[in-house]
Amino acid sequence: MSIFRLLASRILLSALTLLLVSILIFLILEALPGDVATRILGREATAKALEVLRSQLHLDQPALVRYFQWLGDFLRGDLGTSIATGRPIADVLGPRIVNTLLLSFFAFILYLVLALVPAIIQAVNRGKAIDNVISVITLLLLSLPDFLLATMLLFLFAVAVPILPALATISENSTWPEMLRVMVLPAVTLAIMMAVYAIRVLRDSLIEVLRSDYVRLAELKGLRPRAVLFRHALPNAIVPALNVTALNLGFLIGGVVIVERVFSYPGFGTLLIDALQLRDIPLIKATVMISAAVYVAANLVADVLAVLLQPRLRTSR
Amino acid sequence: MTSGTSTPSRRFNTDRWRATPGPFKVGAVILAAHALFAIIGAVWTPYGFAEMGAGLPLSGISWDHPMGLDQIGRDVFSRFMHGAHIVLLLSFAGTILGMVAGTALGLLSGYVGGWFDAVTQRVVEAMISIPFLALALVMIIAAGPALAGAPVLIVFVVGLVYAPRITRIARAAAMEIATREYVAVAELRGEGTWSIVFREILPNAANVLLVEFSLRLSYAPILIGALGFLGFGIRPPTPEWGLMISENRNLLIASPVTVFGPGLGLASLVIGFNLFTDGLSRMLGQRPVAGA
Repeated sequence: MSIFRLLASRILLSALTLLLVSILIFLILEALPGDVATRILGREATAKALEVLRSQLHLDQPALVRYFQWLGDFLRGDLGTSIATGRPIADVLGPRIVNTLLLSFFAFILYLVLALVPAIIQAVNRGKAIDNVISVITLLLLSLPDFLLATMLLFLFAVAVPILPALATISENSTWPEMLRVMVLPAVTLAIMMAVYAIRVLRDSLIEVLRSDYVRLAELKGLRPRAVLFRHALPNAIVPALNVTALNLGFLIGGVVIVERVFSYPGFGTLLIDALQLRDIPLIKATVMISAAVYVAANLVADVLAVLLQPRLRTSR
Repeated sequence: MTSGTSTPSRRFNTDRWRATPGPFKVGAVILAAHALFAIIGAVWTPYGFAEMGAGLPLSGISWDHPMGLDQIGRDVFSRFMHGAHIVLLLSFAGTILGMVAGTALGLLSGYVGGWFDAVTQRVVEAMISIPFLALALVMIIAAGPALAGAPVLIVFVVGLVYAPRITRIARAAAMEIATREYVAVAELRGEGTWSIVFREILPNAANVLLVEFSLRLSYAPILIGALGFLGFGIRPPTPEWGLMISENRNLLIASPVTVFGPGLGLASLVIGFNLFTDGLSRMLGQRPVAGA
């Protein structure tokens, strides 16, 4: 019973958070003092152009009315019309989201490998040279800006040793092997950026678990080290890493903007940059709202998973 | 170092230096080198940072031009040197703004509690839910063309992106400290909320906040660089390093040093900050939290 109440309260809080996000986005983009149309078009804009934009954005109506209009439409699935292209936003966003989901999925699989393998190697060999070497590499990668890492990988594998395409352009009739080849560099960049955060947390929690009584007991029972590690230690050590993974998903949404931009990948991130450059307010609102929703949902899932995986958390709180 | 904590006044001596953790030392040396480089770059560069025709455009690297020349013949090393203090100043200013706002709000919210805390936490949660890069970019767009590319805007944006994250940390610290006896004593003395928050809680949260400051400072050059890289940062021709990397990206084949020179500068600065943070948190007995 309590677990359902917990779930319900988490879901309600998430919904409240998203409502606040929508208010914030609206306030930032449309309710700041000054004329929205002038801010979009600049001071040199003609009176006629300003007039047209004002009617497109319904700026003649009060802000409160516009907000509820937008929120109502949004909840009913009508994301509005892009100013720059004149097309419905849902049509513009759809294929971009699919592309980014493909890329993120690929990156996420790589992330799991890139986070787990080094962390396990470190925890098993704690204090030895390999542990320190991986720690130093992680710290160096942690300090590398994502746009620089992307540019470096592009230089290494598309310029110096040209085995992968520099531009990740895909079209509707790209075949699966082509798509995968194109996605390698952006996906690897994203996976590395996420993994460096998780490796440290995972290593520390794994070492802690390996020292615990039940792992000692399992060892004393004569279980093979491999069985102890994978069946007893790892599942318990993963819980703290779940929060990092949720944080990482938040990072992924931001990182996607940079990485897609570097490799010209036609996804959600490049769409946001395009929308920002064209000052396409309805499109900006929709993209930011969706990215916040993904983040909130990811956190909700991580919270729930943490509760399900660790019974201790079910009763506390 | 802040005063007011329980530690005695810190005077620099060699014993203390030897006893500090390794990462802290390496980080401090890197940061000192960066600071020195930034000071020199602010007053003197081999060529003007915006001087066109310092040499033949795209003529590659030479002793006169260790990082080559860009497409309009500007000496990239001079630009790199001049950019050092800009990156440092923007990072510090933005992080300090975020720290001041976040600390004040977080400590108050953690100590006062009640509806004020509930409302603050929901707003903070909402701000954190917007990916920080998206939030930063949206604010830059919202500021309009008049402010676009102005240093003030970048500082403000970094501060506003950081403030909610710092608020969380400060609030947690305040809630913990609020249960201590000396806070109860101060309450019995009849001290006001402001006095308790800033005279009793703030000094005792200093260690946590110092590590948080250092951690946020580590990430600031990356955030500022990313904004510049995407074309929403400091206005050209100001040589912010992220902007330089994006400006010269099409020289990647012809002259990689031109792109990776500023990149190395940015990465080494962040490495310095990260090592410093790591060492600092060990010295102060705190555990830094990873993640943006």
